[in-house]
Amino acid sequence: MWRRSRSLEGMTHPPTSDLDLFSDEVLTDPYPSYADLRALGPVVHLPANEVYALTRYDAIRAALGGWETFSSAHGVGFNPTVNEALMGTSLASDPPQHTALRAALTENLSPRALRGLKSQIDAKADALVADLVASGSFEAIDALARALPLEIVADLVGFTGEVRGRMLAWGKAANQVIGPLNQRTAESFPIAGELYQWCSTVSKADLAEGSIGRGIFEAEERGAIPPGAAGPIIHQYLAAGVENTVSAIGNIVALFASHPDQLALVRKDPSLVPAAFNEVLRFWAPINAWGRETTRDVEIEGVVIPAGARVAILFGSGNRDPLHYDDPDTFRVERNPVDHLSLGYGVHGCAGQGLARLEAHAVIDALARRVERLVVGTPTRIPHNVTRSVHALPVLEVVTA
Amino acid sequence: MRIELDRPRCEGHGLCEEAAPSLMHLDDEGELVIDRADVGESEAALAHAAVRVCPVAALRIA
Ligand code: HEM
Ligand code: SF4
Repeated sequence: MWRRSRSLEGMTHPPTSDLDLFSDEVLTDPYPSYADLRALGPVVHLPANEVYALTRYDAIRAALGGWETFSSAHGVGFNPTVNEALMGTSLASDPPQHTALRAALTENLSPRALRGLKSQIDAKADALVADLVASGSFEAIDALARALPLEIVADLVGFTGEVRGRMLAWGKAANQVIGPLNQRTAESFPIAGELYQWCSTVSKADLAEGSIGRGIFEAEERGAIPPGAAGPIIHQYLAAGVENTVSAIGNIVALFASHPDQLALVRKDPSLVPAAFNEVLRFWAPINAWGRETTRDVEIEGVVIPAGARVAILFGSGNRDPLHYDDPDTFRVERNPVDHLSLGYGVHGCAGQGLARLEAHAVIDALARRVERLVVGTPTRIPHNVTRSVHALPVLEVVTA
Repeated sequence: MRIELDRPRCEGHGLCEEAAPSLMHLDDEGELVIDRADVGESEAALAHAAVRVCPVAALRIA
């Protein structure tokens, strides 16, 4: 206590709010709460969650760019058990340890490495969309948003057999346990544990020949990454590679269904596909909150976060900051917000974003070519500690192009 | 002003090229080539835009 009061002398404590970031209502519909928090300031202390939340664009971008102060080394989660479990992954490390792990991750995942995949992914997405459109009605999340990334990531990383059937549940649980020690986290630890267990025993031979997964083990054999680092990396591919992409593709379908005028713009000008994906990511961030820890007392616009504090980065709140984006609560594909926060930024900036773009662009492109309008039923959501996605979205009728 | 690239950090996302095609491009191997690192007043805005969009902060203005 003395350290804190001494260092805070003359400095102002951030405003406080009694909001619980992990309540069901906030998780499923966070944007009104985010607006309240932003109005209080760029940093808001949330005693209910024992975190300092970063709410405005500039503060979030600066924190993501400033790993020396906003460290990942003690984990990016909101409970000690998960932070312990994440040790050894690139996510839970700072440079210089992070640099070697990241290089191994991206050697096989960078746009360079993925160049050969574009035509395959385009063809898969187009065939899937064509089938669904022909069927006239379908459940968009299962049939498209889950189906495509599952197949693509499974093939890419080289998962075979029964593991493929567990990928979704494992990925969901691995993200769920990033949250605080609430019931959702407690229920998910055993499933996330299966994934940890599998990743700690998986070997090169378990992964398909020529796959990225094998490439990681080969990097370990060459000494390009530390001994034992391959398992945690495979873990990250599974945990990060599927669920967020499922969420993003589901969001594409849901947002185009509710904004046919925006779909019409992309139909008229297909060069808007990348811009449309940026806007989907800005408008509905697939990850609600993500953690960091301060390495020193840090001042942001006159208020101080003490050293050693847990920080919650609210990507979606920064994305809706009116100080940064004009008319932020409107979905406009022509906005092209290239600097949105949903993929992070800086040293930990999403390592799989090249792959996410390939998949999402392929889906948007196929929808824009084949669909004029989607008539949908009511989308449902299930609260999840850190990710936000549409759980089910019945498409009742497809008005074809 | 001068555009500097942290080569090991660059992953070839190419967003910088989209922002400032007159200053840089990805070659056939997917490696970033800075065509003009020293930029004048007239292109300062382009250079800043390229630095800003790099998702992994591999570019900076010195
Ligand atoms: C639209 C889909 C996606 C979203 C919204 C997303 C979001 C993010 C975010 C916000 C981070 C930064 C975490 C931090 O700052 O601590 C991140 C990191 C990461 N992502 Fe993604 N991601 C997506 C798709 C993917 C895919 C497809 C893969 C891999 C197959 C992937 C692999 C990773 C990895 C390995 C990291 C850790 C990078 C590091 O620590 O340096 N992501 N992602
Ligand atoms: S945007 Fe950044 S990572 Fe991508 S090519 Fe340009 S400098 Fe490299």
